[in-house]
Amino acid sequence: MIPNRDLGRFADRLRLRAVQMVAPHGFGYLGQMLSSAELFAALYARHYRPETDRIVISPGHYIIAAYAAAAEIGHLDEALLETYGHDGSSLEAIGTEKSPAVDLTGGSLSQGLSGACGFALALKMAGNTDSRVYALVSDGELEEGQLWEAALFAAHNRLDNLTVLLDANDSQVDGPVSSITTLEPIAAKWESFGWAAFDVDGHDVEAVDAALGQAVRAGRPAVVIGRTSTVHGLSVLPEGADGHFIKLPEELAEAAIAELEARLA
Amino acid sequence: MRNRPYATVLKPYGQALVDLARERREIVCLTGDLTRQCEIDLFQEMFPERFIHAGMAEANMVSMAGALARCGHIPFVHSFGVFSTRRPLDQIVNSVAYPNLPVRIVGFMPGVSSPGGPSHQAIEDVALMRAIPNMTVVDVADAVEIRKALPVIVDHPGPVYLRLKRGEIPVIFEDDHEFSMTKAQVIRDGDHVSLLANGMMLSAAIAAAEALDTAGVSTRVVNVPVIKPLDAGTVLDVARRSKLVVTAENHSIIGGLGSAVAEVMAEAGVGCPLRRIGLRDTFAEGARTAPPLFRKYKLGTQDIIDAVWSGLSRQGAAPAAPAVDAAPGEYAPV
Repeated sequence: MIPNRDLGRFADRLRLRAVQMVAPHGFGYLGQMLSSAELFAALYARHYRPETDRIVISPGHYIIAAYAAAAEIGHLDEALLETYGHDGSSLEAIGTEKSPAVDLTGGSLSQGLSGACGFALALKMAGNTDSRVYALVSDGELEEGQLWEAALFAAHNRLDNLTVLLDANDSQVDGPVSSITTLEPIAAKWESFGWAAFDVDGHDVEAVDAALGQAVRAGRPAVVIGRTSTVHGLSVLPEGADGHFIKLPEELAEAAIAELEARLA
Repeated sequence: MRNRPYATVLKPYGQALVDLARERREIVCLTGDLTRQCEIDLFQEMFPERFIHAGMAEANMVSMAGALARCGHIPFVHSFGVFSTRRPLDQIVNSVAYPNLPVRIVGFMPGVSSPGGPSHQAIEDVALMRAIPNMTVVDVADAVEIRKALPVIVDHPGPVYLRLKRGEIPVIFEDDHEFSMTKAQVIRDGDHVSLLANGMMLSAAIAAAEALDTAGVSTRVVNVPVIKPLDAGTVLDVARRSKLVVTAENHSIIGGLGSAVAEVMAEAGVGCPLRRIGLRDTFAEGARTAPPLFRKYKLGTQDIIDAVWSGLSRQGAAPAAPAVDAAPGEYAPV
């Protein structure tokens, strides 16, 4: 386990890895990494045990973050990261069946929580009380009905071995989620479905870590809602950058790497 | 082969699944709220610890089944055909078929066997499932075939869609009938016309063949329970030895058995005419009972006979379909 004081640096190292993965393409799902860096840092450094637990990355667009985090804890060969998104690579830009280092991901949104329920149920049927299921879910996915079907199922079936990490970055393809669908109050919705909900600043990595600890001990399915931004932690990005699919031309990529390396120095 | 009217049995699928699950501990049973109608109240009573009630939430049910399969279970997922295919189509594609997981999707009440109107009539489920890579599609004809099919299906490495009649299930085949995932079966020989049928249309094809034989048209009947992968070898073999091929399915003529047969015949350059019995690109409607729907949408024995008669350009009136005379608890095709 990595001490808490290093979690912020862990998050920035994930950002740096993601910039390096996206840079050769000139654009990509960098915003997902920028918003979820502290969530992945807390989860991978302090809670998720690769050989014991299951990890679901529900929106396949976040697979970049799972690759960066898995490489950071030595669960994925970091040399592979250079192949991200290139022809013939198993590290496709949107997660697929080929994606290493995760138990389930996919590009058709909102199916991941159902898969996580399946894993949690299978663990219970096998009498496995040690392993846990962690599912990274995005706020845009809350627009899909299937996610709420899964939320109902998890609570009714008392899947207390299931923890959702929700990246509430208020970003979807057409713009801010809040401008398209009113999801608030998010925490109250989950609570009314029978879940324990912890609503935190998703860039306060210690708060995320603490909330994950409470979620694991909640005695029922629990969600940690991290309030985040798709441009957090990279000040060189231009005003109004499209967080869903960030353009990263060569000069901007160099400036981003320089900013992150300076902060990590 | 037994004779019409056929005796019927109740819950042959539910009993066969229970019998299989006694031996096969990996089997888990998922329901979307039509438990008794899908005959799995038997499973619920016998193996409650392996029975998962997903509620009326088919999308979640199918995606969960995929994850359960990843953990070594063999999930059987149940609903009416409309709700187990149309509604969770994207989940079947992404959570089950693309990962090629051994999930068995069971859809009851095919085609116009439901008088419940278009919402309940699975008329394109075979087409939807057939279009998905990795998916195997099975439409069985009777209680014997159901019992023989389950132990074969359970070990198939990828996903399977199993289409089943609801309610009283006829007993058509003898007990030594065999089910094969790779071979269609010539169940009645003839050398002039070939009728290719499955599911609820098989008994109508048999009745039609008997009437045609009596009228001097030697008619072969081929049972094609596995629509995908289609046994192209048998289909082409009988087509090459026929003046006319007629397919019969309780489904749209688009995308099902008729389409599958047309594809392999056309690609092989087999030049005999083909007629397809099925719903002709139309929705049906609600009714009090199903038989009037089979008649109205031309899914009856007489319709098969008429298709053969016109397909062969025979003069005069086509022979009449044998009279349907089934007592309560018996079954005869329309």
